[in-house]
Amino acid sequence: MPIRRSRLALLAGLVVLVGLLVLPSGGVASAKRAQITVYAAASLTNVFPAIDSHEKYSFGGSNTLAAQITQGAPADVFASANMTLPTTLFQKGLCSKPIVFTRNRLVIVVPKANSAGIHSIYDLTRSGVKVDIAAKGVPVGSYTLQVLKNMNLTAAVLKNVVSKETDVREVLAKVALGEADAGFVYSTDAKTVPGKVTVIKVPAWAQPKVQYGICVVAKSADKPDAQAFIKLVLSKAGQKKLLKYGFLPRVKHVATKKKR
Amino acid sequence: MRRAIGFGLFVAIAVVTLAFLLLPIVGIFVHTSPGKLIGQLSNPVVKDAFVVTLKTSLIAQALILLFGTPTAYLLATRRFTGHSAAVTLVELPLVLPPAVAGVGLLAALGRNGLLGSSLDAFGVSLPFTQTAVTIAVAYVASPLYIRQAIASFEATDPHLTAASRTLGAGPVRTFFRVVLPLARGGLVAGLALSFARGLGEFGATIMFAGSLQRVTQTLPLAIYAEFDVNFDTTLAMSGVLILLSALLLLTLRIALSWRKSPSSRSPSLFGLSSSA
Repeated sequence: MPIRRSRLALLAGLVVLVGLLVLPSGGVASAKRAQITVYAAASLTNVFPAIDSHEKYSFGGSNTLAAQITQGAPADVFASANMTLPTTLFQKGLCSKPIVFTRNRLVIVVPKANSAGIHSIYDLTRSGVKVDIAAKGVPVGSYTLQVLKNMNLTAAVLKNVVSKETDVREVLAKVALGEADAGFVYSTDAKTVPGKVTVIKVPAWAQPKVQYGICVVAKSADKPDAQAFIKLVLSKAGQKKLLKYGFLPRVKHVATKKKR
Repeated sequence: MRRAIGFGLFVAIAVVTLAFLLLPIVGIFVHTSPGKLIGQLSNPVVKDAFVVTLKTSLIAQALILLFGTPTAYLLATRRFTGHSAAVTLVELPLVLPPAVAGVGLLAALGRNGLLGSSLDAFGVSLPFTQTAVTIAVAYVASPLYIRQAIASFEATDPHLTAASRTLGAGPVRTFFRVVLPLARGGLVAGLALSFARGLGEFGATIMFAGSLQRVTQTLPLAIYAEFDVNFDTTLAMSGVLILLSALLLLTLRIALSWRKSPSSRSPSLFGLSSSA
């Protein structure tokens, strides 16, 4: 008898467990207003939930997210830290024509202690300085390479690079921890860890064109809500939030041409 | 009749389980032909990652062997206050999320860490170096070896070590001539498991050592970095890791079958020595 009961309990436990695993994907989500899944660049981690806290977000390197969408990830909206990735998806028929929704600028961050004594981008060429950047495929990584190229510092700085991270927040974290002496991030990222890092500006003339593109994923099961989300980001309220978090106003003309 | 249905159910469940485990592996090898896999091996990213992985893993395993074996022997043969605490400590990295291990290593050995700040004063900085990769691998992989080693030492017949001592061999000689040969199979099996775990190390490595080709980018880090750049390269590297891991598991099986022979022989030896 006691054996029977414990078996029953085990069975009941298993049923509950399976139920818990199966339920959230279907029943619960449809109970409220449809919730969409937004795949967004890591640099949007703070501002997107502030614009719309209702959606499900997956933040990461835009390139990783684009690759996941290519492999059939269940995203409704893709917000990238560049125009190249969503444009490529658009050309493959994987998402709608991307729209620029905000802009950003690149800065150098150094730990508050700044033990390496870095005060300008030229200090990054000194031997022994540990520079952290994002990998080439990550938007912020390719922007970093553009800045270095514009300033003719490519070889001199790359020899000091100690790691290539998978998204911008990884770079920020390693500098904020003081493990790296300096890193290239967006000015908006630097604002998320006040008191931990000091910002060093990159000259305006060397700035790359940092445009964020957004599109509706072609396989989305809820295109109206995905469209509504993009509309919200482009709305006055959405744009005001972006400015508040330090992003730059999106320019009127939709420029998809890359700066050479 | 009911028995037949019950048996059928077990078979069906087992088939589903095995298919579930096999599916991702089939997926990888269906996507990449052997020719493609070999072709990708000459890709510098793959080659560099392979070399970094092998080098750091070999050093890490050598350290695990060197430090883990005496520790395991002590934990297996002596009972002291704090024994369970020590065993728990040894096993902890096994269940710890690798990301936590990465944070812990940074907090301890990072530039501003517990020991790291004093190391930094001597001009030694661990993060972003190959040493950091080795440390991360050793930290997460060591429990697999030490656990197995403790079990193997516990399984060696205490009468044999006692006999060795009464026949005049010192404790060190007894350890090398009697205990180690007896535990050999289990130790090799533990090392194979630890090696396999170390090859796949990702979380602690990326946090503590970063990722830079030719320096700290191991195969798992390269797989992640190449995921959005070149899916073929990712598949090829995954294929390499599967083959390596399978090879290690095979080593483990063989090593475990070794262990059976000495332990099956030991009762008769014991019988002789006790009757003498």
